[in-house]
Amino acid sequence: MRAARLAPVVGSAVSVVLVTAAVFGLRTAVPVLSLGVLYLFAVLPVALLWGRAWGVVVAIASMLAFNWFFLPPRHTFQLADRANWLALAVYVVTALVVSDRAAQARRRAAEAEQREREETLLAEMSLALLQGEHVTEQLDRLGRALAGVLSVPSARITLGEARPDPHDVAVPLVAGERRVGMLFLDEDAQGDEAVRRRFLPALASLVAIALDRAQLEQEALAAERLRVSDSLKTTILRAVSHDLRSPLTAMRVAAESLVSPAIELDEADRRHQLDTVRTEARRLDRLVANLLDLSRLESGAAAPRRELVAADDLVAQALGEVPAPEQTRVVVGLPEDVPLLEVDAVQVERALVNLLENALRYSRPGSDVEISVWTAADEVVLSVRDEGPGIGADDLARVFEPFERLTPGEARQGAGLGLAIARGFAEVNGGRIWAESESGKGASFMLAFPLSAAVVEGQV
Amino acid sequence: MSGQRVLVVDDEPQILHALETTLRGAGYEVTTAGTGEQALILAATRPPDAVVLDLVLPGKSGVEVARELRTWTTTPILILSAVGDEADKVDALDAGADDYVTKPFGIDELLARLRAVLRRSGPPGEPELVVGELQIDLEKRAAILRGERLRLTPIEFRLLAYLARNEGRLLTHAAILRAVWGNAYQEESHYLHVYVSQLRRKIEDDPARPQYVLTEPGSGYRLVAPSGS
Repeated sequence: MRAARLAPVVGSAVSVVLVTAAVFGLRTAVPVLSLGVLYLFAVLPVALLWGRAWGVVVAIASMLAFNWFFLPPRHTFQLADRANWLALAVYVVTALVVSDRAAQARRRAAEAEQREREETLLAEMSLALLQGEHVTEQLDRLGRALAGVLSVPSARITLGEARPDPHDVAVPLVAGERRVGMLFLDEDAQGDEAVRRRFLPALASLVAIALDRAQLEQEALAAERLRVSDSLKTTILRAVSHDLRSPLTAMRVAAESLVSPAIELDEADRRHQLDTVRTEARRLDRLVANLLDLSRLESGAAAPRRELVAADDLVAQALGEVPAPEQTRVVVGLPEDVPLLEVDAVQVERALVNLLENALRYSRPGSDVEISVWTAADEVVLSVRDEGPGIGADDLARVFEPFERLTPGEARQGAGLGLAIARGFAEVNGGRIWAESESGKGASFMLAFPLSAAVVEGQV
Repeated sequence: MSGQRVLVVDDEPQILHALETTLRGAGYEVTTAGTGEQALILAATRPPDAVVLDLVLPGKSGVEVARELRTWTTTPILILSAVGDEADKVDALDAGADDYVTKPFGIDELLARLRAVLRRSGPPGEPELVVGELQIDLEKRAAILRGERLRLTPIEFRLLAYLARNEGRLLTHAAILRAVWGNAYQEESHYLHVYVSQLRRKIEDDPARPQYVLTEPGSGYRLVAPSGS
């Protein structure tokens, strides 16, 4: 601050000294009186840089210096010749006029520059507004730009209601009836009052509109998210209630037929109805387990308890879980050296069971389902292949989304949870899952887990 | 009842199996279909006396199957519906299905509904109908409740008689309006609601908790013998 105040003093002194030195150098070659005009070179830059007042100071200082050093009697402020009085008066007036002109030109230039900066900022704001940029994320940048334009040390914009610091100037940002934020300026600053009056209202209303729009956008987004999650819940409830009801219906019909006096069943029929009750109860149980698995996976509560497991044990366990299908053959292909995995055995088995059930569900009667295990690079791959209708390329990723079913109305056994759960368990155990298929030629689902480090070392 | 052929259509093999065994045990001859297309072929090649039809089927839906069946046969259709399928259920009834049961249904309910739709509308020449403690004399146009003659307007009597001839069966609003008021009135369901509430005040012990004329929300009415009697 002090340096800035000293600058015109030093500048004025230096310019007077320099011109005096120049006149001193030239005084033998040119009549000294005509050299007084050179002092205009001192007045002009000072007036341009620091305004008219300093121009006047330099003009007077120049003439005093000229008189003192060069006009007889030298080293006095007296003048011997009347002509010298006149010349000095002409110089002073000329210097004053020049300094005034220069200062005016400087003021105009500065004002034009200021307006340009204001307009640039407003244009930037409008553009951001039109392009729907996130104004809320740019409040800091905006504050800095504003401080620059208003020549104040700091300006900041806050959202909503905020308490101003006691030494701040606060400008409310109002869009329509709503106060969307506050604009604070450092009150100590010596900003140009006219600029503030001219520029602040325009900027404030622009910022207010932008903030208001950003706020409305966010509210709309939140409402949309709520709606989506609501409709997802509805979908889940519908799918689940539908899937719970099918086994319940079969169980209820079968069980009641066993006790109803209106119904006569032979021994084979009775056994058949009992089987229905049993298998449907297991199906219900699996469905409930799936729902629990899914909710655990989604809430992040499915921490795996990893241990070393042999791949063939996993396959055997999974096969034991899934009821033997009547018309589908399950073929198992295991490698000579059974690889070991370091995973949560229960979770990976559930993933495998779900893949197996999925394959059986989509198999045509009389076709094969093949489970195989192999080692590729540093992964163990467990694959389940069916000869069902296959999956279109566009749907390959979508099958792992919960409640997705590719063929509407078809395969009502299962809410479409199985593959989503398989993916969830694969991922929490550090593995991955993917599907490969050619439409019409069946589908393969692959689970891959990293080979256990311990086992890899042991094999080398 | 025995020997009547029932076509059961459901895409859930377990339900299909359990129903087939149960209905056979109840004395029906049972054919089964897992898809709507299969059902239409079976219905044409071995005409059933009644169709038990699930609403949700792969390919042709239950509603479409009911609609196509109704283009060439009056075989009674009993819909298997589920909570959440209400719109489809109403569509199926509009398409000509006779009644429905909601999954998971009990077999007593299913067999009762099946018997009701198989009974066809009241056998001709039977001058007196009895439902619970209600006696309806069609010739004398008299309705008697516990020995006491009810004072019914002509329309109330026609409504009661139509319901009684179809005891136990779901009658859609449109069907009742057609039968009691005539074809031109089948959209005027507010007539029906007004007359049903008048009728209830005359025949029910507690009109707010009807025992005879039951409302099937969104679809129609059903006259039954009170379960206590």
